[in-house]
Amino acid sequence: MQQRTLWSALMAVALTVAGCGSATRTESPSGQASQPQQKLLVWDWKSGEAAAATYIEQAKADFAKRHPDVTVEFVAQPFDQYYTLLGTAIQTGKGPDVMLFNGGGQIRDRADALLPLDSYVAQDKSRLAGWDAFSKDGKIYAAPVTLQGHPIYYNKALYERAGLDPAAPPKTWSEFVSGCAAVKKATGAACFALGNKEGFGIQFFLSGLGSGVLTPEEYDDWIAGKRDWNSPGVKRIFELWKDVGDKGLNNDGANSTAMFSDVFRVFETGKAAHIIGLMSDIGHWNDFKEFLPPDKIGVMPAPVVTDGAVPSLPYDGGIGYAVAKWTKAPELAADLVRSLTSTGALTAFYGKAGAIVSDTTVDVSQAGPAVAAITAQIETGKPALHVALSSKTLDVMGRLSQQLLSGSTTVDKALEQLAASDRKG
Amino acid sequence: MRIAEPSSSALAERLAPYVLVAPAVLIIVALRLWPLALGVNFSFTGDGDLNGTPVGLGNYLELAADPLFRVSLRNVGLLVLLLPVAVAIPGLLATFIYLRVPGHRVYRSVYFFPAVLSPVIVGAIFNLMLGYDGPLNSLLGMVGAGPVDWLGDPGIAMFTVVGVHVWATFGMALVVFLAGFSTLDSSLLDAARVDGASLRQSIWHVIIPSLTRTIQFVFVTTMIGMLTSMFGLLFVMTSGGPEGATYLPEYYIWHQQGQLNRPALASAASTVLFVVMLVVGLLQITLLRRAGRQD
Repeated sequence: MQQRTLWSALMAVALTVAGCGSATRTESPSGQASQPQQKLLVWDWKSGEAAAATYIEQAKADFAKRHPDVTVEFVAQPFDQYYTLLGTAIQTGKGPDVMLFNGGGQIRDRADALLPLDSYVAQDKSRLAGWDAFSKDGKIYAAPVTLQGHPIYYNKALYERAGLDPAAPPKTWSEFVSGCAAVKKATGAACFALGNKEGFGIQFFLSGLGSGVLTPEEYDDWIAGKRDWNSPGVKRIFELWKDVGDKGLNNDGANSTAMFSDVFRVFETGKAAHIIGLMSDIGHWNDFKEFLPPDKIGVMPAPVVTDGAVPSLPYDGGIGYAVAKWTKAPELAADLVRSLTSTGALTAFYGKAGAIVSDTTVDVSQAGPAVAAITAQIETGKPALHVALSSKTLDVMGRLSQQLLSGSTTVDKALEQLAASDRKG
Repeated sequence: MRIAEPSSSALAERLAPYVLVAPAVLIIVALRLWPLALGVNFSFTGDGDLNGTPVGLGNYLELAADPLFRVSLRNVGLLVLLLPVAVAIPGLLATFIYLRVPGHRVYRSVYFFPAVLSPVIVGAIFNLMLGYDGPLNSLLGMVGAGPVDWLGDPGIAMFTVVGVHVWATFGMALVVFLAGFSTLDSSLLDAARVDGASLRQSIWHVIIPSLTRTIQFVFVTTMIGMLTSMFGLLFVMTSGGPEGATYLPEYYIWHQQGQLNRPALASAASTVLFVVMLVVGLLQITLLRRAGRQD
């Protein structure tokens, strides 16, 4: 009897130990006197992609030159779970030393878990563009890798078939709408390819067309956080959104068409003449070329809706690497971020993935007219309107935009809710 | 006859059962109850700048005021209302197979087939089928009916997703029903037939009463399936949209935690979902007990 008790007790202990043991993590050695192998852990959703392989290799090589004794491990997380996983890491204060972020709300919401990088990246400030999207309250939290923006792409082949001049895209909203009518008549194609299933369509619309509606002052105020949701300009943008839907300028079933990536197929296959797309590194010129040859893809500035508006390319830092506050080696981690944004690495990223990278010194002259048109506008471009909003407000805006399209709410009511959500921040 | 043992051995014997269940209890306490308690505790703290500071019932009040969360709870209610349909479909089809309609062997395997597909694949297939310019709408167009925005109309989307979920999972319930039929006394059916009962009468007066326990079991399992495994379909088919019309608490929790960086609010929503599931679970246990007592 005693023996049985003893055995079961032993079993219990063994099971408990086995259960707990697998969960504990062996701490990585800290860089003290003996200098054992140091290790940096990087989380992102890019390093697993074939198109980014050379980029990561280059960055690693650049880093290894300066720190041969440090190993760098990249862990590619699935993007749809990325911020969930990151949230858990932040909650426990343990996880990667360096991590990839989308610019705007995603990084600002989590800035208190990140290390300000201002002192480390001072030398890169003029070489790279797009810092604003990774800054909060005057501090930089990540170094931009790509630039993300919302150029309006148009299908030159459809323009030709409709008798429009593909080299001279419409400059005003009324020209734009009448051009669309001509395209529809000649080819049956819709004016806009719109995918609003996830509620992302309105973000692209707001940013893509906003500079044609707001005056430069209104635009700058919006970015600076002084947003007047009741101003005629802002109201006009949302009325335009509703009008475009009501007049049938979008492809059918916009609310059930996914932005990633059904709607890009709609544009590529010539079912719509325009799309407010992206610059990097999907939903952009390099993606479209599977069906549309680069010389048939045009990029136009936002058509002018109200007098006094000055169209500009809306863009921000797209993705960038940040350093966690809890890292044991902040300087090493910051140095890795610098390697990840070195000219060599970014040139490779541009070359393989077609991404418009943050480095303004990368040569893009070989890539065709659409890229030339985009890069020419970077100098005069401004931050995108929607990037200035919190993720909560963007979430609300997504649902309201669907309601505006289906007619179950009005522009006034929608703006009221957006203003309330924006005030809360 | 038992020989009297020394007292220490008696003690050991008395302790043995506790020691034996200890691993299971420890695992449940350490990996289930303790995290649950932590989660509930966490739900009374704030997010963002308020991280870690107690906010009392703040998160719960925010949930109560959030129309999106109310929609997600209302959708749980809708699922409960649709439950009879989800049970009746496999029940009826199993009846037809049992009554040997022509081709019943083929149907038996065909009906089970979708049950082996993962929700993501099912969702992707139906995304194509139900797209606005998809084959189903083309078919409707051919017979002269207007296109329906199956996944883009807030009044329809939830029913579409539930319909797809039922399509994807009814095979399992069908098998349970067929197992139930195998215990059915066929002489009863023969007697009913001899007495001139119609199909409807034999279903209503013979089959359903004999299968009460099977039906109750299917009710319970279908309910659990609907409340816990719709996430994959929602994620792939609607992303909670359009207009937030297809939110379920699970999706809401994931969205707040992963997309909006509100882990404490998500904890509060999880606690509410836990209470809902607890009530539903207890009701089901009562139901099953009552069914057991009848025999």
